[in-house]
Amino acid sequence: MLELAMGIMLGLLGLGAGCAMIAGIGPGIGEGNAVAKACEAIGRQPECKSDVTSTMIMGCAIAETTGLYGLIVAILLIFVAPGIFTGILKEAIK
Amino acid sequence: MPGMDPAVKKETGYIAVWVVLLSLVMEAVFLLVRKWDLPVLFGNLGGAVIAIGNFWLMAVTVSKAIEKGKPEEAATRVKATATFRLAGCALLCVLLIAVFKTNLYATVIPLLFPRIGIAFRPMIDRKRGVQPPGTEEGSDLID
Repeated sequence: MLELAMGIMLGLLGLGAGCAMIAGIGPGIGEGNAVAKACEAIGRQPECKSDVTSTMIMGCAIAETTGLYGLIVAILLIFVAPGIFTGILKEAIK
Repeated sequence: MPGMDPAVKKETGYIAVWVVLLSLVMEAVFLLVRKWDLPVLFGNLGGAVIAIGNFWLMAVTVSKAIEKGKPEEAATRVKATATFRLAGCALLCVLLIAVFKTNLYATVIPLLFPRIGIAFRPMIDRKRGVQPPGTEEGSDLID
């Protein structure tokens, strides 16, 4: 019984970690769109290239953080959550 | 490095300084709560290298994509590399934690340090009297 419950729990945690990593798709799309617009802006005003590049780099770094939050949640689900849930399950089955 | 955009160098340097400063603060906190050991130090080092490396790769990709000047090509390139970079970060973090047995929290927390550095950027610029791009007098960027 305990083994079955732990197997289901670990499977669900793995699934959760995978779902958390979906957060990594959004920033890529957002960054891509932002850089495309930056290209257009530089095409119109080539003299402000360095300003636009600096702002773009910082903006992309901010967008990137959302994906990193997902990554951190996934890592916590893989490494920390199993220990916690195993303890809870053992207590419940006792 | 020769041929690198000056903006990339400047911003990566700024982020690296913040990551180092915040890493020192984190180490101090671990010392204060008496949880400091070698896995914490190595985890912090690994996490900091991943955070700075990820930022540098992103900055290089963005500057190269902007240099080419083709919006569609730039968007595709940045989208593809963002996914690969995140996967690389995940892989390296898992490798550090699972194989090299570094402290999980000390490895993962430095990934968020660049964001903290960026959050403080406007405050530092204001103190140094640097105006944000496009807000200078007579600038065409603000309509």
